[in-house]
Amino acid sequence: MIWLVMVLTGLINFIFRISMFSGFRNIHLPPSFHRYVSYVPISVLSAIIASSLVTHNGHEMSYDVGKLVAAFIAVACALLTKSVSVTLIVGLITVWII
Amino acid sequence: MLPLLLGVVPFGLVFGVLGISSGLTETETILMSSIVFAGASQVVFVQLWAAGSAYFVIGSSVALINLRHVLYSASVAEYLKKLSFKWRIILGYLLTDESFAVSIKRLSTHGESRPVHFFMLGSGLTLWLAWQISTIAGVIAGSTIPENWELAFAIPLTFIAIVVPLLKNTPTIICALTSCLIAIFGQSLPWNTWIIVAALGGILAGASIEKWKPRK
Repeated sequence: MIWLVMVLTGLINFIFRISMFSGFRNIHLPPSFHRYVSYVPISVLSAIIASSLVTHNGHEMSYDVGKLVAAFIAVACALLTKSVSVTLIVGLITVWII
Repeated sequence: MLPLLLGVVPFGLVFGVLGISSGLTETETILMSSIVFAGASQVVFVQLWAAGSAYFVIGSSVALINLRHVLYSASVAEYLKKLSFKWRIILGYLLTDESFAVSIKRLSTHGESRPVHFFMLGSGLTLWLAWQISTIAGVIAGSTIPENWELAFAIPLTFIAIVVPLLKNTPTIICALTSCLIAIFGQSLPWNTWIIVAALGGILAGASIEKWKPRK
């Protein structure tokens, strides 16, 4: 089953990528489409970051202090260095130490 | 190109490790990198799959994340319209954030005086190879490195490294905060739909604030 889902999502990706130079080129994108799509990466990635740090089961929150601290340090690191590798390594080392 | 690879290689490693630790086989993890070939959406795919999510949630989340490729496609279509069908299929498959970024940069500095398609092919193939090789390396690491190394935590860390530099103004910050809050408090929503609800909530919040107070 995973193969079917994988191939279908791969196909959707491919269609998006060739959408505008596949031959039927005259699809018009409304300007608001640009505005909405520009927020997709930030929104989706933020949701994943938050859900991997804090969970809420309907009654109470649960979190791991070490991971929260590591995440804050990673945020500072990303602001300062803008480097994926440095942020990743500093964050992992923090979580190992704590 | 090199700075871009520095971002892609650790991400590929992390994805490879995640695939194995989420219960995918080595073949499934490695081939996902060439079938889906879109980093963040592969991570979401694997996490949602491991959590036993509904297929439509997985499909629509991946589609939502990759909707931006339509914009990239629209931006480069103009320069590629004279190419053969075969060329366009290959360049389409290889279209990613990174190859789009370098190609657009080249177009803005050199214009169309030099054909851009060889450049796109070269940058696309380089990135593709780096992604496949780093996934394979991650898969090998994932099957050997013990679990108490907390390598799964590399996913939120990688995403922090990608998102934080993008938070440059009020709408982007509001977008991120809204999405975080919905993701935390929506966890008990059925079929793991929290990811889509959080994503849409963040997008709406950001876009509405931008409309109300346009970006400078």
